[in-house]
Amino acid sequence: MKMIWAIIRPEYTQKVIDALEKIGISAMTRLHVTGHGAEIGATANYSEIPKEMLMLVLSDIDVARAVKIISTVAKTWQKENPGQGAVGDGKIFVTYVDDAYTIRTAETHKNDASFPAKTGTAL
Amino acid sequence: MKKIIAIIRNEKVEDTKCALKNLGITGLTFLHVTGRGSSKSPFLRGKSLHYAFKRILQRQDDIPSSENQDNRLTETEQGSGFHPKRMLIIVANDSDVRSIIETIITTNQTGHHGDGKIFICPMISAIRVRNGEQGDKALV
Repeated sequence: MKMIWAIIRPEYTQKVIDALEKIGISAMTRLHVTGHGAEIGATANYSEIPKEMLMLVLSDIDVARAVKIISTVAKTWQKENPGQGAVGDGKIFVTYVDDAYTIRTAETHKNDASFPAKTGTAL
Repeated sequence: MKKIIAIIRNEKVEDTKCALKNLGITGLTFLHVTGRGSSKSPFLRGKSLHYAFKRILQRQDDIPSSENQDNRLTETEQGSGFHPKRMLIIVANDSDVRSIIETIITTNQTGHHGDGKIFICPMISAIRVRNGEQGDKALV
């Protein structure tokens, strides 16, 4: 079980959500955040650039697929060097999750291999 | 040291605050978030709701689906199932984690879908900004 925190451009959020839903990953949390990375000085002179953060908890198999989907869909398409993306496209962080509980049933998913539901085959 | 990330209902925030205060937990962070679960039930997700309604309409062959109804369905679909929730973040000692989880579960449990999830993540250290204290001391 792993947790993904992805910071992406707000205009790509819906595309990313749809792409993830297409491979069966629908459970996620959205946060509106502001911040900046290498953008400051490169493309912007202000520090509070609005971004969207997605939080997903996935089984180990799905992490690689989800990261691949997010990193391809959220990438800016540039005319001069296509496929390279642009400064400010965001970051993806992956952390461990020790344990998860469903509040409704108060059950733990620590040793539950079926949580979170796998989307199918490994990448 | 563990980080507890709980996603709970908006209306349960005050109850949770009180319950955790009684437990002696003072350091809390609340975030406004929107989210959705992985529930397969058609009545819980905006998009699935659309399909569920359509299926019901199709079954009732006598009732033709008018334009009016279709517009209403599109409105539902636009929501794409993201509901406003509150994210609660607590960093706590390993010994307190058990009681915090039990408190959150008992205060937030309604037995309906959408009650939320609790995730426990490992945390290496914490630092108090005021005086630079590190580790467990920074949490007290």
